[in-house]
Amino acid sequence: MNPIIRDMKDKIVGALKIADGVLRGKAVDTIEFELEELDHVFGLLVLGSYVGIPSPPMQISLDLMPFMEKELILMMKKVDTANEPISDLFSVLDID
Amino acid sequence: MSKAKNIFFVGKGGVGKSTSAALNALFLVKKGFQVLLVSLDPAHNQSDIFEKRLSDKPLEIAQNFLVTEVDQEYWIKQYLKDVQNQINKTYSYLTAFNLDRYFKVIKYSPGLEEYALVLAFNNIQRDFSHFDFLIFDMPPTALSLKFFTLPTLSLIWTEHLLALRQEIIKKREIITKIKLIKKEVERDKVLNKINESKEDYLHLKEIFEDADKTHIKLVLNPDKLSLAESIRILNALQDININLNQIICNKMQTASSRADIDKTFVNTPILNFPNSKTPLIGINNLQQFLKMNGDQLEKQLNAC
Repeated sequence: MNPIIRDMKDKIVGALKIADGVLRGKAVDTIEFELEELDHVFGLLVLGSYVGIPSPPMQISLDLMPFMEKELILMMKKVDTANEPISDLFSVLDID
Repeated sequence: MSKAKNIFFVGKGGVGKSTSAALNALFLVKKGFQVLLVSLDPAHNQSDIFEKRLSDKPLEIAQNFLVTEVDQEYWIKQYLKDVQNQINKTYSYLTAFNLDRYFKVIKYSPGLEEYALVLAFNNIQRDFSHFDFLIFDMPPTALSLKFFTLPTLSLIWTEHLLALRQEIIKKREIITKIKLIKKEVERDKVLNKINESKEDYLHLKEIFEDADKTHIKLVLNPDKLSLAESIRILNALQDININLNQIICNKMQTASSRADIDKTFVNTPILNFPNSKTPLIGINNLQQFLKMNGDQLEKQLNAC
């Protein structure tokens, strides 16, 4: 194959791959947001006693705590955006 | 599978649960059964009743008869130590910043009293499954009811958390699929732990509800306060699907009336333990009491 044509083909395939990645990313933005919120709800339910939310029997929290590193980090992260939950939601939904 | 039958003695504080449990244990030993008497009451009485220094390690009081007093603090400490070790393993990187010391406070976690009893109960079930009877001298009402409610309450939580976790995993899989992420399917440790706990609570609930494995004997005295609390115990146990198998009317005197008790517990066999003239302390006195009230007591116990 002509090197120029091959170069063009590679560039087109590359551009399509990027477009595909962007579109796929866009498609799951909302689900990712929802997932993060679900993770957060899960963390709050299990470890909520730290912030005054009724918690499960103590042994359930303690049994799960060693495996909830991600939820703990997310709960810390949420502290930063806790004052602006609506703006957080609007940015996910692309509303200016 | 465990062949041992569990007999729990519940009731208001001071009605004579420990003595009734000890008498029932000796009665079964005399019948030729292998019996372990376990005190789950943090304010233990069995040491005083048998005039022996008892501990977490069962002591042979007579042939085929062992007695133990569960050390609640030991089970709480042991459990929290395991949790602490697991946390230290998972968050080992925190040692780099000396942040792990903040987790040390876990060993002072409150609210684990009933769970400590469950851990001790499971341990006894495992180690003494070959015995004929495991007799449990329970703490007064509040802690006893928390103990029996624990599997039901924990199951409500585990089932709710399980549904939420499954939803999370489902969403995570959708994202992985759409984004074409080539990722090894890793097992969700949280989901596994919830499933594992659910199995344990289900098993415990089954044991409590199974009439072939568990007998609940409610001890009361012929007085109003004791009867009122006994009715509350009965209702609380019925709420969680646990049946009362026998009422033991302890400290009955000739003048005592059982009319109110008979009226309240229509469908449950009632056994009379007469008031003893001598203190029921020491194995000889207990055996003597069984001998003196022999025929009548034996007839009633056999009927139950």
